[in-house]
Amino acid sequence: MLKVAEHKAPQDSLETEKFLSAQKLYLPVSQHTGRPSRICVEKNQIVEKNQLIARGDGLISASLHAPQKAKIVDIKNWYHPKLKKIQSLILKTQPETENREPLPALLNLDKTSKENLLKTISENGIVGMGGAGFPSHVKLNPPKKIDTLIINGCECEPYLASDCRLMIENLEGILKGIEIISKLIAPEKIIFAVEGNKKEAIKKINLFLHTKKNNSKIELRVLKSRYPQGGEKQLIYSVTQRKLSGKMLPFDAGCMVHNVATCYAIYKAVYFNQPLTSRVVTFCGDALVKPKNLWVNIGTTLSELVEKEIIKFKKIPKKIIFGGPMMGDAVTNLANPILKTTSGVLFLEKLPKEEEESACIRCGRCVNYCPMNLVPLEYAKMAKNKKYQGLKSYYIKDCIECGSCSYICPANIPILDYIKLGKEKIK
Amino acid sequence: MTEQMKLKISGSPHLKNKAKTPHIMLDVIIGLLPVIGASIYFFGFSALILICNCTVTAIVTERFINLIRKRKSTIRDYSAALTGILVALILPPSISWYGATIGTVFAILVGKHLFGGLGSNIFNPALVGRAFLAAAYPKALTTYVKPGWSDTVSEATPLMLQKFSGESTSLGQLFLGNVSGSLGETSALCLLIGGFYLLIRRSAGWRIPVSLLFLVTVISTGGYLVKPGLGSPLFHLLSGGMLLGAFFMATDPVTTPTTKKGKFIFGGACAVLIMVIRYFSNLPEGVMYAILFTNATVPLINRYTRPKSFGLRREDEANI
Repeated sequence: MLKVAEHKAPQDSLETEKFLSAQKLYLPVSQHTGRPSRICVEKNQIVEKNQLIARGDGLISASLHAPQKAKIVDIKNWYHPKLKKIQSLILKTQPETENREPLPALLNLDKTSKENLLKTISENGIVGMGGAGFPSHVKLNPPKKIDTLIINGCECEPYLASDCRLMIENLEGILKGIEIISKLIAPEKIIFAVEGNKKEAIKKINLFLHTKKNNSKIELRVLKSRYPQGGEKQLIYSVTQRKLSGKMLPFDAGCMVHNVATCYAIYKAVYFNQPLTSRVVTFCGDALVKPKNLWVNIGTTLSELVEKEIIKFKKIPKKIIFGGPMMGDAVTNLANPILKTTSGVLFLEKLPKEEEESACIRCGRCVNYCPMNLVPLEYAKMAKNKKYQGLKSYYIKDCIECGSCSYICPANIPILDYIKLGKEKIK
Repeated sequence: MTEQMKLKISGSPHLKNKAKTPHIMLDVIIGLLPVIGASIYFFGFSALILICNCTVTAIVTERFINLIRKRKSTIRDYSAALTGILVALILPPSISWYGATIGTVFAILVGKHLFGGLGSNIFNPALVGRAFLAAAYPKALTTYVKPGWSDTVSEATPLMLQKFSGESTSLGQLFLGNVSGSLGETSALCLLIGGFYLLIRRSAGWRIPVSLLFLVTVISTGGYLVKPGLGSPLFHLLSGGMLLGAFFMATDPVTTPTTKKGKFIFGGACAVLIMVIRYFSNLPEGVMYAILFTNATVPLINRYTRPKSFGLRREDEANI
């Protein structure tokens, strides 16, 4: 795995601020893996805070809720950082009416049945918040016995610090979330995996594990900082030495991985009946006056954050990336909204020097660093020569698109772009 | 401010490593500096002239071919300069200037560009150049001179002495380089310094030199135990083109395997061939032919050492 310059300072030591009062919210119906949610409100309808506005549709899907009291002003296609424009609910928020009755929450974890727990998690629209957005209630109902639960606090992408801050500021919530998960799947071992560059978070977790007379099974595992260690398969290997092939899912190896932010969202859902409507997002990059970690409602657009001067530009950014710099998606404008899976937004002014693709010198660095043991240079060559059929026999489908090959290539070959093209062609 | 924003879109990753092809080539040239220094120290000013001659010839030839092929100039990737320096370092110091020039032109033209240029050549261009000269001017390529600045007294190389007259050379002299031989192969000390520089900078992989030198040690130890007249392991490691070949020729990325396992096999195959040639052939030295021959097997090695996808077991593989 790669050692990439981390760029985590100073945002990893900045207290999380709050901005939960956007004027307009743009909520795409697909912020998760699986079927898009089905809209269950109408145009011009007034919705309350936390009200269901789009229901999870089908086996793998997730529900969507209104982050604030608002009027549905439109339902139309809108920008989405990962996809093309897709159907979105556009909400104009209204001031909160006071003395609103809180929703009933589950008070006693021990007395709640598994079914009820799963239902609560599902109804609150919880999805994996590390990036893929896989619906949590589906993941938490595995068809096989899970012996090892891994809590992912790696955050191996450079720049991002939202998980790091969450572990420092809301550790108790995360641990309660872990307790809920462990009640659901009854693992033999719970391993809290954190990369070594998060010293403060590690200290906090250690403090909890050692001082409290805890009978929890949680075991802290400090890993070296490497990319892409936060990837599910790589993390399972780093922690348990079990290898998952391209087609296998974590439960095939008796493992389950949950991101720390997801654990926290599960805790909020179960203890407070709070749907997933806000999250911590790191805003950083050299174009900003200063980086920021922010609790922000999903659906908030970058343009609103800029207008309200929540984020201030020092220089005009040349590239805006949703997610980390290794796997994130570059967007075309500020109209893109924060999603359930957005852990950070980068605003870059200084971009790596654009260099022309030169001849592959067959150095094999891409082969050395591929976490899936693939031969990226062969894919690039075949895709370039349009020999897509040959790609099938090279396990190209196992590629996790981490981008290590493009990163390391001394000849500036956008290997991952070629791989994506090849995958598309042999579908 | 936001109105003037022109955002760039590109596929991930958005970060790039800084080490590019020219950096790698330049690093190899830097690694060769101690070797170049030693060659000038031992063989005098003529060594410097020979190196400059080959380097300039290589660059001019490269540019010329770029123009004929209507391609962008590739001299800035330093691969041509590196080939030129390497050609000079594997030639005898006494070679005529035109011989060196012809060898260099052949290396760049035939060894590199007839195969399609950087990245497409099968054989190490510098070695192709030398092999051509060895065939075309066998006498010039087997006449070596005593180290020294002024008089050119011809003298056999340590490997020749060992093979044809059973005379041994002191290991100390071999280590420092005060022996006859090609320009860049005499000083083991300087080659080791340069080689370690490359390994530390990761501009050359460690797998090939390690497997090559390890297997040479094993074979020559065996040979020495059976028949001491074959030369001690240290003698074989320090003499001839062994270290130059292991660190600077067999690590050429273009002409060596891309897989980890393949790199070990490549180094091992080179080692076996070198020792076979040194022990059983009429030639005193075998590094050049061993590497060239193994270069030809690289596509085969790549094919049979293609790694299995992460986590894939043998039984899964049958289903694909």
